Amino acid sequence: MTAATTGHPGAARVGIGGPVGSGKTALLEQLIPRFAVRGTRLAVITNDLVTKEDAERLRRSGLIAPERVLAVEAGACPHTVIREDPTLNLDAADLLEERFSPLDLILLESGGDNLASTFSLELVDYWMFVIDVAGGGDIPRKKGPGVVQADILVINKPDLATHVGVDLDAMVAEARAVRGDRPVLVTNCRNGEGVDAVVEAIARDVLFDGGT
Amino acid sequence: MADAAALLLALQMGDSAFPSGGFGFSWGLETLKSDGLVRDGADVIAFAQAQLWHRWASADRPVLRAALAARGDLNRLAALDREVEAMNLAVEQREGSRRMGRALVRSHVTMDTPGAKAFQAAQREGRVLGHLPVAQGVVWGGAGLDIDGAEAVSAFAVAAGVGQAAVRLALIGPVEAQAMIAGLRGTIAALLARPCPDRPHAFVPAAEIAVMRHESGEARLFAN
Repeated sequence: MTAATTGHPGAARVGIGGPVGSGKTALLEQLIPRFAVRGTRLAVITNDLVTKEDAERLRRSGLIAPERVLAVEAGACPHTVIREDPTLNLDAADLLEERFSPLDLILLESGGDNLASTFSLELVDYWMFVIDVAGGGDIPRKKGPGVVQADILVINKPDLATHVGVDLDAMVAEARAVRGDRPVLVTNCRNGEGVDAVVEAIARDVLFDGGT
Repeated sequence: MADAAALLLALQMGDSAFPSGGFGFSWGLETLKSDGLVRDGADVIAFAQAQLWHRWASADRPVLRAALAARGDLNRLAALDREVEAMNLAVEQREGSRRMGRALVRSHVTMDTPGAKAFQAAQREGRVLGHLPVAQGVVWGGAGLDIDGAEAVSAFAVAAGVGQAAVRLALIGPVEAQAMIAGLRGTIAALLARPCPDRPHAFVPAAEIAVMRHESGEARLFAN
């Protein structure tokens, strides 16, 4: 990992956005141990909207050294802190790099937001958008900027499809239709199914180490 | 009216959309609201007046003025920074000032504002702390603002910042916030017409206690 491969000095920065309750923190909890096994040197920034709950949950998880998790408050503006004015997140990323250099990867979890949420490419090199089956099978069809523009669209909680009357195959097909060639990955972040494919995509597209 | 170039420069530096992280800070207002001590528009105006009279005019202003004059003199800037650090009793007040200062400088480094890169390097080496009024003096001076312009933009940012935080805390409406800022323009003009104190000092105890209580409080929309 060098400046030549990421476009900026230091670690690759990957955003995780998506609506409230879609599984962003659960995905992080599944990603962290997988990157640890790969030897990826990692730190995390969370943008909790109203509490420090997500940051505290990660710090207490035992998955990552607590000091490698920073919380950035969003001033009730989850869009702003990742897009219009990402300076507080950039500052947090700088601090993590100063303290734990060398790092390979910094994961930035957005606060729960809506389908218009997108990350500025001044903040991240690559970003994922997490939606879930229980949020409604029609979400991809609405073509929100988050669904369409993210580098990876993650559809979480496939096990709930039958309980909420969603046709999972149709939901995935519609997501693929609105996103062209870019990946749509289905994960169950409670048991880890499908998460390896997310790690492989990040490894291939961002860390440039060819995946597992 | 000032010449157009100077006016446009001041407008850009004072634009609340300028990326410097200000939206993340309430400087005690979030806790004062949750404690029931600031409840309505009149309370918000009183809070903003206190911030302007008893913090900005007496503390931020002389530091900003000195920093702008001392641009390039890292030893002098470091001394100013240490003074700001020592004056701010509440942890989240100190950290907020440093974080906003770093964020402001970072944007100016990206924009190639003269002097910003050297100041950021000094920050990263630990030679300066980069508190907000010091950082403002360095980068606004580098961008070409004169001292009068820098003081006006800095004071306006306090008024506008209180207004925006109050709107997001649902204490006042957005037009009510602008009406408040319209009234505060007179306050700011009066403060700017007064002599600047030689030594920085501040006295806003309710806000400072609120910032301290925020450290362990439940309310976390804002960083302080």
